[in-house]
Amino acid sequence: MSDPNKRALLRHTVATLAYRGGKAIANVPEGFPQFRANDSTRTPDQILAHIGDLLDWALSIAKGQQTWRNSTPLPWDQETTRFFAALAAFDSYLASDDELGAPEEKLFQGPVADALTHVGQIAMLRRMAGGPVKGENYYVAEIEAGRVGAEQPPPRREFD
Amino acid sequence: MEDRRRLLNHFLAALAYRTQKALREAPENFGSFRVSDGVRTPAELVRHMSSVLGYARTFFVGGHYWPEPLASFAEEVERFHEMLGLLAQHLRNGDSLLEGMTEERLLQGPFSDAMTHAGQLALLRRLAGAPVAPENFIVAEIKEERLGPDQAKPVSPDKVWPEAPDGWKP
Repeated sequence: MSDPNKRALLRHTVATLAYRGGKAIANVPEGFPQFRANDSTRTPDQILAHIGDLLDWALSIAKGQQTWRNSTPLPWDQETTRFFAALAAFDSYLASDDELGAPEEKLFQGPVADALTHVGQIAMLRRMAGGPVKGENYYVAEIEAGRVGAEQPPPRREFD
Repeated sequence: MEDRRRLLNHFLAALAYRTQKALREAPENFGSFRVSDGVRTPAELVRHMSSVLGYARTFFVGGHYWPEPLASFAEEVERFHEMLGLLAQHLRNGDSLLEGMTEERLLQGPFSDAMTHAGQLALLRRLAGAPVAPENFIVAEIKEERLGPDQAKPVSPDKVWPEAPDGWKP
């Protein structure tokens, strides 16, 4: 039996991922999806596709039917749409009364934390590509469980 | 410990694990590796991670926190883990949060900030020519009381690594 408080905090993390991820992948410079920092690094579109795979994986774990799939990157706009759709599907399951196939801690330490680290990588690549994301005091950002779509509130405290 | 705080502590433990994974067996001088102008070095990143976690701690103890640069990368890493421990102790103690801070805001702000930076450390390892092998983190040995630099080795390292450096073996 999963714990409602933990489950609520997990949903809040998913909303955080939508907000932070959404900011990192919006309004990217031209050519950024294929920006390659060096021969051995993933491009941003590969990282975003990987985040989508992680979220699909998270949902499969939550449903108790763990499945992994490596996807080929879609055009950036489509991959962005996929990112938010995957977040919505995962969040919808967490919001339901259905049992979780793994403890909240495992979902947290695995796919959710992984996705956050990759959002950080996209942000760093944006800086390297000359199109940095503005800094923000995220603790005052309007983030709430269930708000996982592309439409996110504007930042409350942003800085250069 | 209250359930949400237990999960926050687990988040800090995952942060300790992932940070050490990105730093373990790093090349000498990795701390000062600067990939390009305007991008933080690993030492600057770890100091920033200590800074955001120290900022989070001010919501338990008041005041301000602004860590000065330390002489070595090893000291920066040590301070980071100390800060993780201090913060976790407040959560374990059930200490009150000040200024209207909530567990959710800690998570969405400084805790998530630090996690994104752990990912950047891993990216810098790759850019420095010494990438870290992937693993299945869901089975990683992450425990809420284990916040120091001594972290478990991967339980389930990936058998396939498309971007592996020459000579890598699973």
